[in-house]
Amino acid sequence: MKCTSLLIILSFACSVAVQTPSFAAAPTANEAVPGLLPSSRISPSVDKIVARSLETFYYAGEDQRTRVSMRLINSQGKERKRVMTLLRKDLGTSGEQRYYIYFHEPSDVKGTAFMVWKYPAREDDRWIFIPAIKLVRRIAADDKRSSFVGSDFTYEDVSGRDLEDETHNLLGEETLGGRPVFKIESAPQAKVEYVRRLSWIDRERGLPLKEEYYDARGELLRTFSADEVREVDGHWTATRRTMHDAQSGHRTEVVFDEVNYDVGLGEDLFSERYLRRPPGQWVR
Amino acid sequence: MLKRLIWLAMDFPKSTILLVLLATIAFGTQFPKIHIDTDPENMLPADQADRVLYNRAKQDFGIHDLIVLGITDEAGMFQADRLSRVARVVERLLGIHGVITADVISLTTTDDVRSRGGLLEVRPLMQRVPQNQAEIDSLRKAIADNPLFTDKLASADGTALAVYIPIESKDQAARIGDELRAILDEELTPQQQYHMAGLPIAEDSFGIEMFRQMGIVSPASGGMLFLLLWFAFRKLTLVVPVMVVAMFTVAWGMGLLIGMGYTVHIMSSMIPVFLMPIAVLDSVHILSDFYDRYPRLKDRRAALRESIEELYTPMLYTSVTSAAGFASLMLADIPPVQVFGAFVAFGILVAFLLTVTLVPATIVLIREERLQAVIGSMDSEGGRLGKVLREFGRFAFGRAVPVALLAALVLGLGFWGVSRTVVNDNPVAWFPESHDLRVADRVMNRQFGGTYMAYLLIEGKAAGDMKRPEVMAYMEGLQRTLETDPKVGKTSSLADVIKQVSYVVHDADPQHRRIPEKADELAQYLFLYETAGDAGDLDNFVDYDYRSANIWVQMQAGDNLEMARVVELVDRHLERAPPPVGVQVRWSGLTYINKVWQDEMVVGMMKAVMGGFVAVFVLMAFLFRSLSLGFLSMLPLTFAITLSYGLAAFAGKEYDMPMSVCSALTLGLSIDFAIHFVQRYRCNLARLGGDLSATNAVVFGETARAIVRNALVIAVGFSPMVLSPLGPYKTVGVFFALLMLFSALTALGLLPGLLKLTHGRLWQAKTT
Repeated sequence: MKCTSLLIILSFACSVAVQTPSFAAAPTANEAVPGLLPSSRISPSVDKIVARSLETFYYAGEDQRTRVSMRLINSQGKERKRVMTLLRKDLGTSGEQRYYIYFHEPSDVKGTAFMVWKYPAREDDRWIFIPAIKLVRRIAADDKRSSFVGSDFTYEDVSGRDLEDETHNLLGEETLGGRPVFKIESAPQAKVEYVRRLSWIDRERGLPLKEEYYDARGELLRTFSADEVREVDGHWTATRRTMHDAQSGHRTEVVFDEVNYDVGLGEDLFSERYLRRPPGQWVR
Repeated sequence: MLKRLIWLAMDFPKSTILLVLLATIAFGTQFPKIHIDTDPENMLPADQADRVLYNRAKQDFGIHDLIVLGITDEAGMFQADRLSRVARVVERLLGIHGVITADVISLTTTDDVRSRGGLLEVRPLMQRVPQNQAEIDSLRKAIADNPLFTDKLASADGTALAVYIPIESKDQAARIGDELRAILDEELTPQQQYHMAGLPIAEDSFGIEMFRQMGIVSPASGGMLFLLLWFAFRKLTLVVPVMVVAMFTVAWGMGLLIGMGYTVHIMSSMIPVFLMPIAVLDSVHILSDFYDRYPRLKDRRAALRESIEELYTPMLYTSVTSAAGFASLMLADIPPVQVFGAFVAFGILVAFLLTVTLVPATIVLIREERLQAVIGSMDSEGGRLGKVLREFGRFAFGRAVPVALLAALVLGLGFWGVSRTVVNDNPVAWFPESHDLRVADRVMNRQFGGTYMAYLLIEGKAAGDMKRPEVMAYMEGLQRTLETDPKVGKTSSLADVIKQVSYVVHDADPQHRRIPEKADELAQYLFLYETAGDAGDLDNFVDYDYRSANIWVQMQAGDNLEMARVVELVDRHLERAPPPVGVQVRWSGLTYINKVWQDEMVVGMMKAVMGGFVAVFVLMAFLFRSLSLGFLSMLPLTFAITLSYGLAAFAGKEYDMPMSVCSALTLGLSIDFAIHFVQRYRCNLARLGGDLSATNAVVFGETARAIVRNALVIAVGFSPMVLSPLGPYKTVGVFFALLMLFSALTALGLLPGLLKLTHGRLWQAKTT
């Protein structure tokens, strides 16, 4: 918990430095939307809100074990199903993380496993284990925004982005599905497939409840929604979530069948040895 | 009873004209509702099996119609500057509305799986523009090392790069092409050339070009008709109503078509071109006859009455039979042909009605002195034309047997020619050789695997069937067979993906570029590819539950003949090596669909025209109360069709969609000549007490002149079409001339002799 607050303060501090120019631009954006409060009257600051949201959504606890059912549904309503165990461990406060993903289903790929070493400022390291030929291969991924195991979620959607990756602007406060939310507009600093992201962040719980991504043509690219939110081990968790690709009509529905935090995953689990031989204690 | 209407029109000319005008305005008000459809696919009914399958395949495999963009540079495309230009072009074209961004295939948007020292890389082929020679070399190597990309994204010699741009719908192709051109003109230097190829852009551009041509060709033909009519009749106030009849007929026909909610399709857009000459025919007969009588009678009402008494029956007969002939096209199972037949038939009846009301009404309105001044002094013998025709008539009458034998010989030659007809079509070939699309077609198909897309669907019964190793191996076998065809430039399928993954997973060991034998190994390779790439990466090759797969067949030529040969090739493969249990192989794709509708069109049109032929024969035999006369009346039609198509075959012209449409024209034009000749021969023979020679001389007066005038007016009047850059318009223009020539020649050259030879044996004139 100590690390968490430190992280928030830290990110807030540097964001103030980074964000000054965009603050100057903020009032113009607000003027365009009548009835909204000027950003100066809203506290906490927009970067603080976003930093807290990232923390809650991606860095809850020291580690996490989740059994996930994933349904990939195309525009015709045809489905592909995946069942996996997902292990996560945070290393320190720099945002470095380890992921281990073991596939239970579909049955013909049972035993396939992924491992991701995530670093805050550079490309991830990823490995795959192919059980049929008992082979581990390292995968160089093109970027953090590539698809996570073929779903509509990106690796970044699963493991989080950095506060500084985008500039943020608070558009106002409203309610969404009965929850009070901040409505925030974010624009990526680097050139990526979206140029604008709208998010609705739960004021009290800090979780994003909805996100919309828009491309340079102003057309909706993807919509994220948190369909079920529960408190697990003291952490607010979106246990059902959907990502919908507006352009292809494809969507991915994720259900957390089991989820636990701070279960005590060892760092040694995230190694080639365990990639080949799944740790029975955690992967059931 | 209809005749009473004519007398009424002559008694109340102004009211008649007003009434017709009002009706025309009523039909004209429908024009703004026009809905244009330029998709040749609509030649097939929406529920036709191949179309249904193609639509399903498009959904199952996320296939969209493609624009294939090629950028070439003689000095080579693999240079930092060129590559960065291409990257910018791709970047910008993703912003064009209607482009399926996620499925654009190019160096910068398509992921490649490669292996480097135990590392699997999944990245865009060209993630950033290479800065030095080593990077450029490795890019070229990556393309060469992945069979999915070679001959697809870059040409073997490195002077051309291709981008495959899927679009939301075919009818946006031309617009997207224009926006693309603007981007390319900005981003490329004059050293680089660009080409856009593929059937969708050709078909959409053709539609647009077609309507532009209609705007040029129709007035040009109208103007030409007008000049010729004026040349024949020398009186503006008499020629104008003839033109008005033609235009009003078109207005009524098209107005009704649009008003009833039918789309104006490639085929129905030809209705005006068909109706105009047919509408002119009757007027020319009336004027010709009137001009002959007037100098003698010097009374416009009396002369008109006589002319109409003489011409009413043949005009009615020709209109009814032609209309019946076109109406019989409705029996064809091709929706646009049905619409075409129905509205041309309607137009023919309208033309008759307007001719017999408007033309007499206008003549009555012209003051007697003015008619005197123009026609009164005219030679009622028809001048030089009359002299030539009388000579010709005597010759045809006198040398009946040799002429008949010669005709039989020529007809035989015609049949021989028809038997050599090659049925073939390709919408790209409708454009002139020098057109951008034709140039693009040549360049792109020389440099790449092919811009004509066909899809071979491999359909299983249960989900997961496509993951069976033996199914995958069968697909591979099919591809090898397909690639033996000289025009199949490239095939790609799920099998290629699997082989590439196997190759890359095994550290680029060429031994492993093969399909795994174990089902789970295969499934895991697929899973690796699925999970490493994006959600839709395999969609084009396999449907979502792996029930059916899709082999992309890129062809370098889109002629239906080429497609037919490839279909045949696969059929033989299927016989030799039947597919695994529960697996079915079927064709789809635009190139294939074109072949299907053309087959239907050719056969359907042939059947429909045959049906029309029979209908016309039955009607004529009934009208003449004689099988023999009915048969003789069919001769101009038979000769016109056989000789025109025979000649085309000898000249090496392939039988395509526009040509098949032209065959229907004989139903309207050749019949006219036959009926006028036979009917008036019969009447005169009765009047002259069975004197064949005298009858022949009479018919070779006014009747023959009217026939020749009609033939000339129509043949020459529609000659501007020959100058159109679009193939189908050229074809129609040439066929108007050929059909006129052969029908007139048969009617005037062959019928006199045959009528003489058969009279008294096969038929009898009613001498009273």
